[in-house]
Amino acid sequence: MDLANYKKVWKDQPEERNKISSLDIYKMTQSRSNSIVKWIFMIGLVEFIFWFSINYFATKSGNFEPFAKLNLMTFLDYSNYLHYLIVLLFLLLFYRNFSSVSAIDDTKTLMKKVLLVRKTVKWYVYYNLTCCVVFSIVLNVLIFNTPNYLSLLYDINTSSIDQGQMMTIIIIVQIVMIALMLLVLWLFFYLLYGILLKKLNKNYLELTKLSEIEVI
Amino acid sequence: MQNKLEKKFLSDFEKNQNIVHKVCRIYTTNQDQHDDLFQEIAIQVWKNYSKFRGDAKFSTWMYRVALNTAISLYRKSSRSIKTQDFSDVSFKIKSIDYDDTKDQQLKALYDGIRELSDIEKALIFLYLEDKPYKEIAITLGITEVNARVKMNRAKDKLKKSLNP
Repeated sequence: MDLANYKKVWKDQPEERNKISSLDIYKMTQSRSNSIVKWIFMIGLVEFIFWFSINYFATKSGNFEPFAKLNLMTFLDYSNYLHYLIVLLFLLLFYRNFSSVSAIDDTKTLMKKVLLVRKTVKWYVYYNLTCCVVFSIVLNVLIFNTPNYLSLLYDINTSSIDQGQMMTIIIIVQIVMIALMLLVLWLFFYLLYGILLKKLNKNYLELTKLSEIEVI
Repeated sequence: MQNKLEKKFLSDFEKNQNIVHKVCRIYTTNQDQHDDLFQEIAIQVWKNYSKFRGDAKFSTWMYRVALNTAISLYRKSSRSIKTQDFSDVSFKIKSIDYDDTKDQQLKALYDGIRELSDIEKALIFLYLEDKPYKEIAITLGITEVNARVKMNRAKDKLKKSLNP
């Protein structure tokens, strides 16, 4: 049997037996959406809060005396203001991209917009990672190039930890922090987003590949 | 309880719900998933209803929202895994002289469509609903030429599945 006949069968198919009443449709519209884009938005917000908290608590609880002694406090303050401004811009961009997602767009545009929401969070994470890396480099340069820098961090004379041990501790702490960050990133990137966006990525690829087909 | 816009939406949606049921049938494999997707489509249609301009047919507009929801927005919930597959649910009709062969053919057609990719499902669905290529291309956001190329491939795949 060819497709034309199946088309006839399709057209003759009976109407759905379990018709949904207006009241039930109304109830449905009052319930919460469980769409992928909403999940991306929620996870994105968690990521924003996560990175913001790291920065906030680091600046609140950190020991800044060594920086003060090196006259770096003004620099730190301004870079912190700049950081908050950038976070705010990211949040605005994130919300704008999320709001622009609409089911009335064509399929390809819609998918592109959903993936853009995800990309905004990704850029935000990259930005934070870059900040961490830059800060670490600055800190390491200070530690290894400033004579007696460690004496600014703690009192070498009274402490039971010698300079060599302190260096090892600093390096180990940095390695642990990097490993922890990579683990969190892996959890977000591959597990959460991977599961959520597997279908969407596959479909988007299929549509974009389609656009590349050249017809003679 | 309801304002004028809500009343109009409910009436439009109720009248055209068959389109949504058909979309749910091709994109889901059991009744719970069907209900979940139906609800998500209802939410999305209502959410965007104020943007619907009367110059287009509501049904045409709903095809787009329903397919977009199924392809890009719908997330299968965990509860839908537990329930029985509805592959053996036939689309029975109340009429006594109903020809069972048609019922079997329809079931085979749905099974064949379910084997296609999400994009191919949309193409075949719009073909079966007699939509012109221009409309199919606009709905999916691709060129008409690409829509034809992809449609031919999807048809070939479906034919192979229907006539192994």
